[in-house]
Amino acid sequence: MAAKEVNDQKYIICNADEGDPGAFMDRSLLEGDAHAVIEGMIIGGYAIGATKGVVYIRAEYPIAIERLTIALKAAQAAGILGTNIFSSGFDFDIEIRIGAGAFVCGEETALMASVEGRRGEPTQKPPFPVQCGLYGKPTVINNVETFGSIAPILLKGADWFASIGTEKSKGTKVFALAGDIRMKGLIEVPMGISLGKILFDIGGGIPKHKNFKVAQTGGPSGGCLTAEHLNTPIDYDSLIKHGAIMGSGGLIAADEDTCMVDMARFFMDFVQEESCGKCTPCRLGTKRMLEILERITVGQGEPGDVEKLIELGTSIKESAICGLGQTAANPVLSTIKYFRHEYDEHIHKKYCRSGVCSELFISPCQNACPAGVNVPGYIALIAAGRVKDAYNLIRQDNPFPSICGRVCTHPCESKCRRASLDESIAIADLKRYAADYVLNSDEPYMNMMFQKNGKSVGIIGAGPSGLTCGYYLSRLGYSVDIYEEKSVAGGILAYGIPEYRQPKDVLKKEIDSIIQSGINIFYNTKVGEQITFAELKAKYGAIYIATGTQLSRKIGIEGEEKEGIYHGLDFLKDINLNKKVTVKGVVAVIGGGNTALDAARSALRLGAEKVHILYRRTREEMPADRREVQDALDEGIVLHELVAPVRFLGNGAVRQIECLKMDPGEFGKDGRRIPVQQPNSHFTLNIDMAIPAVSQYSDLPFVTRQDVELTDWGTFVVDDTTQMTTQQGVFAGGDVARGSDVVITAIADGKVAAKSIDKYLGGKGVLNTGEPIEIPHLRPDEANTIEHERFPMRYLDDDKRRTSFEEVAQGFHKLNAIAEAMRCLQCSKH
Amino acid sequence: MSLVTLSINDKTIQAEEGTTIFEAAKHNNILIPHFCYLENVHQMGSCRICVVEVEGARNLMASCVTEVREGMVVHTNTSKVRKVRKVLYELILSDHPKNCLGCHRNQNCELQDLGEQIQIDGFRFEGVKSKDVVDSSSASIVRDSSKCILCRRCVTVCNEIQGVGVMNAHHRGFATYIGPSEVESLGHSICTNCGQCIVVCPVGALKEKDSTQIVWDALLDKSKTVIVQTAPAVRVALGEKFGFEAGTLVTGKMATSLRELGFNYIFDTNFAADLTILEEGTEFLKRVTETFTTPEPAVLPMITSCSPGWIKYVEHQYSDHLGHLSSCKSPHMMLGALIKTYFAEKINIDPKDIFVVSVMPCTAKKFEITRPEMESNGIRDVDAVLTTRELARMIKDAGIDFAQLPDSEFDAPLGLSSGAADIFGTTGGVMEAAIRTVYELVTGRELPMEALHVQPLVGLKQVKTADLKIENPVEAYSFLDGVTVKVAVTSGLKGASKLMEEIRLGTSPYHFIEVMGCPGGCISGGGQPRPVDDSVRLKRMQAIYREDEGKQLRKSHQNKDVMALYTDFLGHPLGHLSHELLHTTYVKREKN
Repeated sequence: MAAKEVNDQKYIICNADEGDPGAFMDRSLLEGDAHAVIEGMIIGGYAIGATKGVVYIRAEYPIAIERLTIALKAAQAAGILGTNIFSSGFDFDIEIRIGAGAFVCGEETALMASVEGRRGEPTQKPPFPVQCGLYGKPTVINNVETFGSIAPILLKGADWFASIGTEKSKGTKVFALAGDIRMKGLIEVPMGISLGKILFDIGGGIPKHKNFKVAQTGGPSGGCLTAEHLNTPIDYDSLIKHGAIMGSGGLIAADEDTCMVDMARFFMDFVQEESCGKCTPCRLGTKRMLEILERITVGQGEPGDVEKLIELGTSIKESAICGLGQTAANPVLSTIKYFRHEYDEHIHKKYCRSGVCSELFISPCQNACPAGVNVPGYIALIAAGRVKDAYNLIRQDNPFPSICGRVCTHPCESKCRRASLDESIAIADLKRYAADYVLNSDEPYMNMMFQKNGKSVGIIGAGPSGLTCGYYLSRLGYSVDIYEEKSVAGGILAYGIPEYRQPKDVLKKEIDSIIQSGINIFYNTKVGEQITFAELKAKYGAIYIATGTQLSRKIGIEGEEKEGIYHGLDFLKDINLNKKVTVKGVVAVIGGGNTALDAARSALRLGAEKVHILYRRTREEMPADRREVQDALDEGIVLHELVAPVRFLGNGAVRQIECLKMDPGEFGKDGRRIPVQQPNSHFTLNIDMAIPAVSQYSDLPFVTRQDVELTDWGTFVVDDTTQMTTQQGVFAGGDVARGSDVVITAIADGKVAAKSIDKYLGGKGVLNTGEPIEIPHLRPDEANTIEHERFPMRYLDDDKRRTSFEEVAQGFHKLNAIAEAMRCLQCSKH
Repeated sequence: MSLVTLSINDKTIQAEEGTTIFEAAKHNNILIPHFCYLENVHQMGSCRICVVEVEGARNLMASCVTEVREGMVVHTNTSKVRKVRKVLYELILSDHPKNCLGCHRNQNCELQDLGEQIQIDGFRFEGVKSKDVVDSSSASIVRDSSKCILCRRCVTVCNEIQGVGVMNAHHRGFATYIGPSEVESLGHSICTNCGQCIVVCPVGALKEKDSTQIVWDALLDKSKTVIVQTAPAVRVALGEKFGFEAGTLVTGKMATSLRELGFNYIFDTNFAADLTILEEGTEFLKRVTETFTTPEPAVLPMITSCSPGWIKYVEHQYSDHLGHLSSCKSPHMMLGALIKTYFAEKINIDPKDIFVVSVMPCTAKKFEITRPEMESNGIRDVDAVLTTRELARMIKDAGIDFAQLPDSEFDAPLGLSSGAADIFGTTGGVMEAAIRTVYELVTGRELPMEALHVQPLVGLKQVKTADLKIENPVEAYSFLDGVTVKVAVTSGLKGASKLMEEIRLGTSPYHFIEVMGCPGGCISGGGQPRPVDDSVRLKRMQAIYREDEGKQLRKSHQNKDVMALYTDFLGHPLGHLSHELLHTTYVKREKN
């Protein structure tokens, strides 16, 4: 187009005003091979008939400027630049213009205004630079990467270049990989490569065992791509389709600790600062969006804020003059599109799941705890030697301190700030220490009777969720009856967790202390048999269903009915309920979760000769607690990664398991790679017993889909703030509402349900957690903090472990507990 | 120019190539809501209120800066456009104080007008305000940044039209503000006080420094004799503030209203305009005579000095060429000096007890009266300057039903004026008035032009020139026989800088130049009623010429009261007393 324009003067401009946070592609090319860029500009000048070139580069790149200057001088000295180049009659020279680093000057019309010495502000297009550009003359303006690619394209031919990449996006693209990724830096990839390949194959994945959350492309003008986009080809059209843009090539990976509202706020803050201030939507709209985002992140969000953000964002996009403004709202709109729930959590629940928006919580660990236990508080109390107070503080929010000290998945520890220095605080172990200390001491733990309010609540299931709910309701004065099918309370805690991890007497003490609040339990009472659901509904003001998931899901392969095949949960249940369980020979456990690990280690203790764990993904992706996996391996259990069973063989009893080797394939919606079968990789293992432990499901014989809405997975549909099912007065929580999950979420649901039930029955929905406990203000001497890993806990000797169900982890010695508690940085605000 | 065919709101229309969507729509009775756009002055597309949907375009387009194209399909009222327009208007309001009842622009505000068109239900996007600086350092202009909505009309006027460049955008994003740079204030900048920024400001961010209160105080002070004078351009614009059509002459009503306000004497600056012609004409002839008859040529071209905005401009920008300026004070300063001397003596009142008020179309006059040179014997020549707008406010405040007032006359002896004085109010007028008298002095004959108008000097062109060949002069000017006197007229400071550049380079061919600081002259001065566009300018200009042509006296030297002043008091033009009271000096000022 520019070549066709008739004019006495035309220009070639190289846009080296690279300003996206974290991007440095142009800089590296200019510093590394300035001549490639110069050559591209000369060719461009020749093609359109321009005699002058300008490189607009930001002052923050002094080395690039220095090297480009040297290169220009060398080119001039060699007669490559100047008049009558190589006697061709073609004149071309290049000058450098140094910009002050205004982001908006990356926009071509603003860039040209800046080159002309005017305030760097854009003008509306059309007219486009090819007609009316620098000083009103036809101008071709491209970026550094484009000019750098010209010579190779001419040398090797357009077909060569077009053979790389996709139908519409040809060639290669340079990205600056940054953020939460193992290998940061510049990469050049063919267009169309999948996001997952860039992040995991090239970038090495997300460090510190964190989960991938989003990738932001295009910097502050771009949008985010989530786990469900890992298979998306990176090309211009796909990115735009998903609400992101290619931009100059910034690619920032973010892990689960990234708050999407905060990320949107960060980018909005950037564009707001960098807006040139010319047009209303960009100048004022971005500021108002920023203000709303800031309010949301400090807990002052209001209903309707997200709608305002969308309205402002789309209006700015539609009406701003230039690219900066038109894309300014992209990060916000894109995070709303994919993470609306995080916005809603901030606004309605004042909760930041990533533990970033610090105004919303006491500390990151407390925020990470589903039950909201005041972690820094009890750590400080332990450090001060006030162990009983520590125990009582934990019990204010979680009636299961000794259980959670042993089996909790401790999401708190993954958010611990101390981890960035050396290692996170051993929060769960300290909790266990406090609980053991009090439960083993002679002092009776504090308890009391609560005045009854005359209202009653029926609970189905005496597992952790039901007991928690009952505990808090009873403290509010409700008469609480729990109906338990089995002969013991504790649910999965009682029969699903092996003794060596959680001794039964510990559980019993903990449950006794809960029951003391005034709960009445009907054992061996199955709802639907001994008493009907309708009877319960008639008898109680409200019902809480917390029946968990008790049935093992079959893996659905040939031969699963053979003798010697024992499903995981049944296996553990039978051991715990003291049924006779015989284990001999070689055992294969199938699965990668905690149930699989428990089954494998229990099998070993029951006399298995050899235990194999078969898992279809990699160890990295196993949902089981990392420490459990390590313990299992230490005990001699063999882990087979990327292996899937195909069928069980054997005449009557299982003798062999036929397996296939797997490869990590495309990415699934959860961001994990879906295993695909390696062709012709069949192999068999000789076994005597197999324990499939893949997942569990609920059995709800007492309700039907006509009465209450269930999900496709057979769990209850509940309101996410009240836990109420679609039937008035009937609440549900724990695994029966969530599907297989962990103890602490079951406890958290029980707490939420207690509040909602109280509200439903006319109360204020405020739990009676007891007298406030004064917490000592420990302010560690930050200047003198030295690196120190966790203080050791006592463990059972290795040789005893393989043969006994004695508890493996034996708890802290008091001195180590106090020392460990003192490692806490106390980053909380009390 | 070829025509392109396009569709706007399903109407097929034709428009000249190069016109904008906004203009094309307007010609077809579709008025797209707009805000920063100002016809022929400011087309920047910054407020984005005038966005429209163009089929095939990725985003909405600002119609004021988007040219029409063949086959274009435009929609100005789709739900998307309406929604975005509302959001934009609410955003503008979110950074505006909205205390309309306490704003002098209430009911005369383009932001209010826009609100009437767009109709919003509430303020959904309130937040912090970007700025709150009130700069009242200038004697003429008050800048209230809290009200500024960054339309940048003032930036365009100050830079592109006036070439002064004191109003600019600073900082970025939300922090962007318009004004002199952060280290400056208007009062300590190169601002010429021309007030063109005030005239284009759509809201109350720019206004004149208020003088109504001190005038009220003087009027209500029994010990003061309060004397008012009115400039020629006021009488053709004041009526607009009371519902009259632009260009309605309200000289008589104005005089009556001033009397009702309580002024003791109503004089006319026009009297001093006639006086100026005698002084300035004589000065010009003196310079010409020196140049043609002595070995030491005087400084030519001589340039008029009645526009104080122009004077401050030249003092900043061309301080090495101040000798070109006529030494005459501007007419109202001359009259002020005479009131406090000649007239004070006549009515036997101590000049200390006289308070002189000038009603001017001008904001720069407010600065001018503060200049140290503008006093005699320690007594200020003029005590207060009211703009036309301020006078209108006082009339309204006093409950005077202006439209119904009977006409009355100015008071003697400083109220009589010729038609030559009237035309001081428009570009070309001072030069024409001077030529009417000087030609007659030099040749002894009346200017041989139809209705005494020097046609090439009439109109709104930026620079106008005329050649006057002198033939058969009177004896005293025989040296001018056959000489062609070249004159130039310009209004607006950009035009003035063009002529000054010629002077600086020594290539100026002119003998006499008239400069008025505001485009069109005083009729569109910084103190005149809004709005001002070229059609308003032309109407006011025609009214000025009507006033001139309606008079018996058309030439300044025919003003018998002026001549009596010389006989009774001053002696002769450029005489000792004239020098003391009617002439002044200039100062060199910093260029930036």
